[in-house]
Amino acid sequence: MVITDGTARAAGVRLGMKRGGVLTLSPETEMHERDAAKEAAAQREVGVALMRFSPEVALLDEATVVVEVGASLRLFGGLLALCREAKAVLGALGLTARISAAPTGQGGWLLAKFGNRRVLKLASLEQRLAALPMMAVPEVRPFGDWLSGLGCETIADIRRLPRAGLQRRCGEHLLDSLDRAFGTAPELFDWLELPPTFSARIEMPDRLEDADGAVFGAHRLIVQLCGWLCAKQLAVTAIRLLLEHERGRDAIEPTSIDIALGEPTWKEEHLVRLLKERLHRIELAAPVIALRLDALKVESAAPASDTLFPEPGGSKEDHARLLELLVARLGEDNVLRPAPTADHRPEVANRWVPVTLKSKQQALPLGLPRPTWMLDGPVRLLMRQHRPFYGSPLRMVSPAERIEAGWFDGELVTRDYFVAQGEDQSCYWIYRERVSSRDAEEEQRWFLHGLFG
Amino acid sequence: MSTATVTAEEIHPSLWRASQLARGRGRVVETGYPVLSAELPGGGWPVGALIDLMVQQAGVGELRLLRPALSGSGNRPVAFVQPPHTPDGLGLSYIGLPIEQVLRVKAQKTADALWSAEQILRAGSCGALIFWAQYAQASSLRRLHLAAQSSETLFVMVRPLAAVQDSSPALLRLALRPSADGLTVDIVKRRGPARAEPLSIPLQPTPVLLSRHARLSRRPLAEVAARGVPTEVVI
Repeated sequence: MVITDGTARAAGVRLGMKRGGVLTLSPETEMHERDAAKEAAAQREVGVALMRFSPEVALLDEATVVVEVGASLRLFGGLLALCREAKAVLGALGLTARISAAPTGQGGWLLAKFGNRRVLKLASLEQRLAALPMMAVPEVRPFGDWLSGLGCETIADIRRLPRAGLQRRCGEHLLDSLDRAFGTAPELFDWLELPPTFSARIEMPDRLEDADGAVFGAHRLIVQLCGWLCAKQLAVTAIRLLLEHERGRDAIEPTSIDIALGEPTWKEEHLVRLLKERLHRIELAAPVIALRLDALKVESAAPASDTLFPEPGGSKEDHARLLELLVARLGEDNVLRPAPTADHRPEVANRWVPVTLKSKQQALPLGLPRPTWMLDGPVRLLMRQHRPFYGSPLRMVSPAERIEAGWFDGELVTRDYFVAQGEDQSCYWIYRERVSSRDAEEEQRWFLHGLFG
Repeated sequence: MSTATVTAEEIHPSLWRASQLARGRGRVVETGYPVLSAELPGGGWPVGALIDLMVQQAGVGELRLLRPALSGSGNRPVAFVQPPHTPDGLGLSYIGLPIEQVLRVKAQKTADALWSAEQILRAGSCGALIFWAQYAQASSLRRLHLAAQSSETLFVMVRPLAAVQDSSPALLRLALRPSADGLTVDIVKRRGPARAEPLSIPLQPTPVLLSRHARLSRRPLAEVAARGVPTEVVI
C-alpha cells in the first residue's frame, strides 16, 4: 500500500500493508497497481503545463517538479498569486500538490515534502530546513540507522556533525545535497526540453458516451498546450482534437474536431470555451476512449498592446474572439455579414456570407429604394376589389420599378415593384408578376416581398 | 418649509423628483431626433442598459428610428441577433447604415439567441446590439440587463407590442406605431414623469416615393401607377 484515501484510512488501511491484509480489513477496497510509466507521464504533463510560469522547469525524483520562478514573480503578481495560479493549473490537470517556494531548488524540494511553505530569504530557509527530519534527504536514508544511533533526528543534527568525518564515512553526495539545499553550493538542473511540435494524448478512465464528458479531458490537454505555447513564445491558429474510439476488430476512425482561429491565441480560457461549444454540438458515433490534441498551425506570439488608454469596448482581438465563439456554438452559416452582389433581382442581390469568409466588397448602385427587411420567400397577396390586400387594402405610394432579369441563369423574374401603404400607414414592398399576353386574362398576381423597417 | 426648497439632485445626483426627468449619470447616445431626445432622461438613448422597443410588427420603421444612433457608434460593429426577416444589405445602406459594420446572428433556439446576446454584451466589442425576441422571460431580461450594464454597448430589444403589459427591467420602454410621415412613439417607461400623449417623429428616408402634391391630386393611385407616372412627380 503506497497511498490511501480518506475512506480507506477510516477502514483501517495503513501505508505499507500487503494486499492480503487490506482485503481482510475491508474486502470492498478498490486497489490499483502502481504504474510507473503513468506517473512519469503525469509528471511530464505537469512540467509542460507549468512552463507558463517559467521556461526553466525540471522534473525531479519522488514526483516533484521544480520551477525557477525568480524572474516571473513581478509578472504574475507576487509569490502568493503565482502559487494560487499554479494550484489552479494543477487542478485543471486533475491533480493536487503541495506547493512550496524557496531560494534554492533543493530547499524547495525538501520543503514541499512537508507542506505548503513559502520562504523568500536564505536565513529563514535555513531555519525551516533545520527543523525537518533528516530522513527527508534521500542521501541520508542509506545511513539512517547509523545516524540515528548517533542521536541524530533532524537535518540540524546532521549539520552539527564534523564535515570531514561525515564526508569520509558517507561519501560526498550527502554533504553536497545539504549544501545545495542551504545555498552554499551551486545547483544544476536538467531543465525540461520541449518537443518542437505539440501533440498530447490522454486515455479516458472510462468509455465516454457523451461528448460533453470529454470537456474535462480536453481541458487537461489545453492546459499543457498553453504551457508549451508560453515556453516557446508561440500562439496557435489552428488546433485539432481527435476523439479516439474503440480499437481492434470494429475500429472506427477517430472523430476529429478542427478549430481554426481568426486571431492567434495562447489563452487557455478562450480555447477551452471554443472546445466546449464544439463538443456540445457533436453527436458521438461510438464511445470515446482517448483524446488527442494537436497544434496544427502556430505562429510567434505578438506582445500585448502597450496602448496607454485602452479602446472603449474592447480591442479588435476581443471582437475576433467573440466571433469565433459565436461561430463555434451556432455554426458558420449563422453568423453572417452582408455582401450584396450586383444583380437586379433583389433576392439574389441580398447575399449574406459567413463572417469568416473574406471577400471583396462589390461596387453597388447607390440610392436604390429598397426595403430594410426582405421576406425569405414572396408571400402571395389576397385580392379584394382588384386591389392587393394585406390586413387592409393596400394603396400604391410609389411609381413602379420594373425588374426583369435572370434570363441568363434560368431564374427569370419579370416583376413590377411598388411601395404600398396599408390603412395603418405601414409600408410594404410588393410586386405584380408580369405575365405574357397569353395569360393576360387571368387575374393579376401580387406578392409581398419586403418591409420598411 | 425648508425641505421644499432643497432640490432632490442636491441631495444626491441620482435622485430626482417624480415630476422631472432623471439626470442621466450614464453615457447616452444622441437619438438624432430633437423631439425624442428632449423627452429622454439624459437627452439620448442610454448606453449600457436595456432599451425595449415594442412594435406591432417588424417593418414599422424601428431601424430608421435607431439609424442615427447606430451610425454614431463610430467604427464599432452593430450586431443584429435573430432578426425577424432577412435584412437587405442594399436596404440598410439606403437608410444610411454602414453595412460593413453589420453582423447578423441567426439562432435556431431561443436559448441560443439569449446566449449570443449575452456573449456580445460581455465581449463589449460591438457598438450596438439589436435583439429581436418574440417572447422573453423576466429572468432572462434581467440577466441581459445586467450583462449590458458592464458594457459600453447600446442594447435594444425589439419585442411585440403585447409585451407592453409585462413588466421589464428596461430603463426605457417605447411603443412604436407607424404613422403617415414616420412613427408615433409612446413612452411606456422612463425615469421621469409618465407622458400620456404620444410623440410624432418623422422618419427619413420615407418609403413613400410619390410626392405630397401627387397624392393630393386624389387620383386613384393604383391607376396612376399602372399607367406609369411621369418622372417629374418622383422625388
